Amino acid sequence: MAQAKLGRSEQVTGWAFVAPALVLLGIFMIYPIIWSLWMSFQVGKGMNLSFGGWANIIRLTKDPVFIRALVNTCIFFVVQVPIMIVLALLFAVALNDPKLRFRGLFRTAIFLPCVTSLIAYSTLFKSMFATDGVVNNALIWLHVVSGPIPWLQDPFWAKVLIILAITWRWTGYNMIFYLAALQNIDRSIYEAARIDGIPAWARFTGITIPMLKPVILFTTIISTIGTLQLFDEVNNITIGGPSDATLTLSLYIYNLTFKFMPSFGYSATVSWVIVVIVAILSFLQFLIARDRRPAA
Amino acid sequence: MNRFAPWRRALGIAVAGISMITASAALAATTVNVWCWDTNFNGAAMREAAARYNRDHPDVTINIDVSMSQDDIRQKLQTQLLANNTQGLPDIVLIQDDVAQKYLQSFPGAFVPLGDSIDMSQFAQYKVAAATHDGKAYSLPFDSGVTGLFYRTDYLDQAGYKAADLQDIDWDKLIDIGKTVKAKTGHNLFGLDLNGDGLIRIMMQSAGAWYFNKDGSLNIVDNAPLKAALTAYGKIWQADIVKPVSGWTDFTGAFTSGDTVGTVDGAWMVGTIKSKPDQSGKWGVAPTPKLAGVDGATHYSNEGGSSWYVLSSGPGKDAAIDFLKTIWAGDKDFYQKILVGQGAVGTWLAARDGEAYKSSDEFFGGQPVWANFSDWLAKIPGVDYGTFTAEVDAAVVAQLPAIAKGGSVDDALKAINDQAQQQMQ
Amino acid sequence: MNALALARRPLVYVLLSVAAFVSVFPFYWMVVGATNKSADIVTGKPSLGDSLFANAATFFATVDVARIFWNSALIAVVGSLLTLAVSSLAGYGFEMFRSRFRERLFALMLLLLSIPFAALMVPLFVMISQAHLTNTYAAVILPGIASIFIIFYFRQATKAFPAELRDAARVDGLKEWQIFLYIYLPVMRSTYAAATIIVFMANWNNYLWPLIVLNTADMKTATLIISALTSAYTPDYGMILFGTVLATLPTLIIFFLLQRQFVEGLLGSVK
Repeated sequence: MAQAKLGRSEQVTGWAFVAPALVLLGIFMIYPIIWSLWMSFQVGKGMNLSFGGWANIIRLTKDPVFIRALVNTCIFFVVQVPIMIVLALLFAVALNDPKLRFRGLFRTAIFLPCVTSLIAYSTLFKSMFATDGVVNNALIWLHVVSGPIPWLQDPFWAKVLIILAITWRWTGYNMIFYLAALQNIDRSIYEAARIDGIPAWARFTGITIPMLKPVILFTTIISTIGTLQLFDEVNNITIGGPSDATLTLSLYIYNLTFKFMPSFGYSATVSWVIVVIVAILSFLQFLIARDRRPAA
Repeated sequence: MNRFAPWRRALGIAVAGISMITASAALAATTVNVWCWDTNFNGAAMREAAARYNRDHPDVTINIDVSMSQDDIRQKLQTQLLANNTQGLPDIVLIQDDVAQKYLQSFPGAFVPLGDSIDMSQFAQYKVAAATHDGKAYSLPFDSGVTGLFYRTDYLDQAGYKAADLQDIDWDKLIDIGKTVKAKTGHNLFGLDLNGDGLIRIMMQSAGAWYFNKDGSLNIVDNAPLKAALTAYGKIWQADIVKPVSGWTDFTGAFTSGDTVGTVDGAWMVGTIKSKPDQSGKWGVAPTPKLAGVDGATHYSNEGGSSWYVLSSGPGKDAAIDFLKTIWAGDKDFYQKILVGQGAVGTWLAARDGEAYKSSDEFFGGQPVWANFSDWLAKIPGVDYGTFTAEVDAAVVAQLPAIAKGGSVDDALKAINDQAQQQMQ
Repeated sequence: MNALALARRPLVYVLLSVAAFVSVFPFYWMVVGATNKSADIVTGKPSLGDSLFANAATFFATVDVARIFWNSALIAVVGSLLTLAVSSLAGYGFEMFRSRFRERLFALMLLLLSIPFAALMVPLFVMISQAHLTNTYAAVILPGIASIFIIFYFRQATKAFPAELRDAARVDGLKEWQIFLYIYLPVMRSTYAAATIIVFMANWNNYLWPLIVLNTADMKTATLIISALTSAYTPDYGMILFGTVLATLPTLIIFFLLQRQFVEGLLGSVK
């Protein structure tokens, strides 16, 4: 798929389309980014800052709380992002079937979690997953477990709870992107495939997935970044506990900036760790996407 | 082209929207802006104070902004002070005592040392100590978080205990009582949240200790009150008299719903307890239990509580100081009003002679709760919260699940020390 | 239709129903909470109460509802429209007119997307205050208009836009901006619908940045004001949940209106 060389006028048009965005990004991002890079080399507390060279990076490697936050964050996105992407995709495909009844109802229902207020849902999740909450009662009644699961008291189960919570909240959100993208697939392709006797599953993997690949890539990257910046759920449901089991990088950055004696330099350094992780992951994702690009 | 008309119209609105932006109103010199965070508590107390001040000073307008939570105020204050832009910051801001030192030290010169114009000896000394930096007192002390043991008298009755049985006890005794009550009534003693160390801090301060030495260095491993507090905390969990809770709603729900026997908390919890009028007459308040076998252990401690600070950048700071001095350090009647209205236990010692402080409360079985609280608050050991309390809190909280499971307190102390040391650099 | 397909249909309904139930329950709880007294909510009462009007009255007495919803609406509507306009143009531009330099630029932008906002907030605030824009709607809206997130989304969605449509339009003599307005926009209606929902929701719920740049209570948004109510020592949950239900409605209405765009196969109708 050789890229046709753009003519001079097309080059100009290309710049014209992206210019408003680039100008705004230039105004509102360049200075803050340079500032934050500069800050990541500053050490000290509050207003008493001085240049520290690599001191913050050395501090990272020796900071057990940072390591815990990094490991937790990675566990969250490695486990949660694939589950959510697959679920969102399945819901979208199911809801895109024109013969399905109550489509609007199902769609709205599955979308509702991401508009439900954080206050309401974090309060409810805590009470539902309490030791004597409805979830434990139901599981005991169904004989799935013999005693209550310590969802909020045990490091492992607290992680499971957070994964459940973010999957619950963001699956419908991701579904929206797929539903929109499915509208842009020409129905006649499906008709032709159906007439040729290609079974549904093969139509899904052979037509739907490849056609949705750009949007799947998009939601994967966005969800990865979203999970790397995970804050709301852990701050409201578990406050990073128990024993820092659900402490994320973003919550740690927040603590370093607002809760602890403010160390802006160090918190900027932790912020850039997220950028480095995303750089590595995006590179890998693009590599994989490139290898599998069909010879069209 | 009709189908694109909405777009054009929308763009029109967009442009109009931006040109409609109005600059903030210029502040007159006699306006005093105040930030606090609970319209029914500190906001209401401030409104009462403002109304009283305006009787003699009608020229001063006092604006009270309660549109931000405490976290919001911290984030905004800190961002603006760091950006060195004080435009829009208030003249008076309410800050919780245990974070005050952090601001005083991080942003030198941002706050006015009120001790220069107001006599600080009229206030509870532990409050003044919390806001003293480099020998200068910076705050006008507001409410006390003087602690007490709030308990359900009916549950204790059923288990055969009287109010006298809760006087002058230590934590071990309370645990025994808790076990008996649970055996006879089925009710757990407390709801506890493994994500908070409030109880540990209450116990520690009751023996006059905090996480730090005088010079600000960490005092963890050899801190006898802290060790005793963690030990008692572990015993409470091990005695199986705890309902595990998570978050504020769940925590207060545990005792307001009648599920648990009670709680040890600051006096400001009275409002929450009284939110269930049908439980009137079923509650009592006892002094905070003592730490057993610790030098300097008392029955008096503090949890939370906050104070007013004046920003040196505020255009209305002189009026602000005069306002605080006139009402908050001079109006005894005002303190009676906010005690009755908001349940706010002031820390201006002269307020204790007032009528409201002597009255008894039917909700608490006719106990003179306010007189008790004000007696206790004058005896709270003063501690220096230092600048790194939040860092050490985080380190303590990380060890609580292990301690609750019966883990070694010495190991926990060492782990807390290591983590806090690392975070304080 | 074969037997397997027949058997699958009920299974799809069952799974969707379970998902719908799980999804709706917290929302249901929020709505029910708005009808209960605070004390009942804390103890977990799951059924409808009789305090809806009392909660509404408290809410209207506590906050300037008209004002905060007007602020929210203005910021969300103006912010969303500008974001959609600027960011969809850029997404289209990056995809349709590829050049090596712009590809590099785009890759860099994607990286910048991952910087936590907390790291950029202080310098951004310095800029806004030096431009004397603090406490204005513009301060809230401006930094978000060029959204890398939405540019990225439009770029990915544009990959499904058939090149032959554009080529045909060029043969017909349409200018590039005309192709964007008259061909691309209507064809990508479902993409715009999704982006509108997402952008509106993001603007409506935006928290940290409006908190930092807005100073006076009369400028603040519903999201800021309602969230602050929870920090009271004795929060009135009935009133708060009433407020959150009210604050949820605009996003929900936008979703209701725009989800219809996910029904028809629009591409087919253009051809």
